Amino acid sequence: MIGWLLALPALGVMGLAFLWPLAMLFRISLNRTTETGAMEVAVTGESYTRLLGDEFTWELIGNTLGLSGTSAAIAVAMALPVALMIRAASPRWRGLLALLAIAPLLVSGTARLVGWMAILGDQGMINVVLRWVGLTDAPIRMINNWTGVRVGLMESLMPYAVLVLLAGLGRLDSRLEEAAATLGANRFRTFIRVTLPLAAPALLAAWLLTLVLGISAFITPRLMGGGRVFVLATEIYNLALESVDWPAAAAMAMLLLGGLILLMLLRGCVGWLQGKRA
Amino acid sequence: MSRSSPHLRLEQLVRHYAGAAAPAVDRISLDLPRGALLALLGPSGCGKTTTLRMIAGLEKPESGRILVGGRDVTALPPHKRHMGVVFQSYALFPHMTSVGNVAFGLEMQGVARAERGPRALAALELVGLSGFAQRKPRQLSGGQQQRVALARALAIEPDLLLLDEPLSALDAKLREGVRDEIRALQQRLGTTAVFVTHDQTEALAMADLVAVMNAGKVEQLAAPEEIFERPATRFVATFVGRAARIQGRLEAGGVLRTEGGAALRTHSSLAAGPVEAFLRPHRVRLLAPGEAAPTGMANVLDATLARRVYTGEIVALEANTPAGVITAELHAGTDGLWRELQPGSPMRLAFRDTDLLVFPAP
Repeated sequence: MIGWLLALPALGVMGLAFLWPLAMLFRISLNRTTETGAMEVAVTGESYTRLLGDEFTWELIGNTLGLSGTSAAIAVAMALPVALMIRAASPRWRGLLALLAIAPLLVSGTARLVGWMAILGDQGMINVVLRWVGLTDAPIRMINNWTGVRVGLMESLMPYAVLVLLAGLGRLDSRLEEAAATLGANRFRTFIRVTLPLAAPALLAAWLLTLVLGISAFITPRLMGGGRVFVLATEIYNLALESVDWPAAAAMAMLLLGGLILLMLLRGCVGWLQGKRA
Repeated sequence: MSRSSPHLRLEQLVRHYAGAAAPAVDRISLDLPRGALLALLGPSGCGKTTTLRMIAGLEKPESGRILVGGRDVTALPPHKRHMGVVFQSYALFPHMTSVGNVAFGLEMQGVARAERGPRALAALELVGLSGFAQRKPRQLSGGQQQRVALARALAIEPDLLLLDEPLSALDAKLREGVRDEIRALQQRLGTTAVFVTHDQTEALAMADLVAVMNAGKVEQLAAPEEIFERPATRFVATFVGRAARIQGRLEAGGVLRTEGGAALRTHSSLAAGPVEAFLRPHRVRLLAPGEAAPTGMANVLDATLARRVYTGEIVALEANTPAGVITAELHAGTDGLWRELQPGSPMRLAFRDTDLLVFPAP
């Protein structure tokens, strides 16, 4: 009872700042857009049918899933050695190393992206060095396209991947790796046959979480894509602020939300299965 | 290799842990003949597990050498040492079945695919688990997991079997049975083995040789009877078995004079000076009123009963004597004298001069 009372302020804020706007958003998605582009109050699913009937929407969904899926996978693959190293470190260093791994989260995401632009841009560090060495004549395009977005996204997802992996690997008994070694397995075979299979649920959990974060990312595709990369999040922005088609923007936001909820449920199932196996 | 050369030899092993002032293992040397079972016995933190882990190659000694069958293995990584290790937590691979766990070791040893299955099953049969081959570790009881771990370690026909507190995770009722099974198996296969324990009964019951360890050093390396009956140091006398402590001065002729005025005969050849003597409770006889001490029992003490603890088979009598508090343990069934005694009753206790284990006072 007291617990509910104490949770009241947080619940109030959630209700006011999240659930209420969300309900409004849903309401707007049911409005009608007239031929002139004005919004007319109504209760209709027109915006949804219009979006789902549009091939461009499906292309956006494909783009979004492809981008987030690959970025999340690369982020998790790169986070695994980091997490394994942190786990193997002595307890004195573990905390510090874990902090270092998630340190990027302490810097504003926008600032980090500007940093990437300075590195990947046409006049950026990599291109300047490549031309100076003589490997290329013209700059290699690494921003304002999918590559740039993928790099930026992957970098921003890695700290989360490390965090989830650390939590998952914490339950992996290092004695198992020692046992494999005493039975004659070298480090590589121990990794392939013991560490990796046991880390699989943690890898999946990390991938699903970073996938969700990647799908909902807006700043990264917007800044690193330079207007040439189209995903759901950027399209919602365009619909709302450039086309000023609020019902369509709201409907697309609701579709995105539905997809994300499905993914989170999937992640919950993975966690539940993990719990049952342990 | 000649028969007399040891199968396992540790030479001056040293290992420090970061941040600790004293070494965890401090110049340990010992020899173990082929086919023998060595128990590393000591309190927690005495360096016994560190020693075992260094033998397995899971930790590196800072100095010293480890030789197996005359070959220096000090620099070898664990996967090249060919030693079977049973971990305290068993460390079974949770994603593999029992037979998969055993076969994994065979595969890593390069045993041909067709041979692995039968050999893994044979190893499981050896530990009486042939019916549990397809079970995952979590579907097995603690005792069964322990046997799978043992089968997995033995299946690779190791040069050395290493067991880290193999019984500590089992409940007390299982422990004795598994203990005797491990011993029987080790003797049948003729495997040279080292096991770590803090339980003296386990060490005495299983081992051919016991190394009593304290503060990173081996206090005594000897057969179980020797350890118990002729402890080499004060630490061994107090750590292995229980004993009453008697303080006093040793005088000429091996007479121990206590502050309470008792003069006890000992077999000690120590120089005169302050000493501490230890007396095992089961060595002390209770005399009937007026009964003369049996021949050979040179020491007789007048005592008053302080406390009586009856545990069924054994009755412990705690008595105040001129030599301090001494405990006598009697077989409750065969020796009926104690039944008349109540706290405060006068009584007489007798023991041999050789029963007093005398050490210089610390």
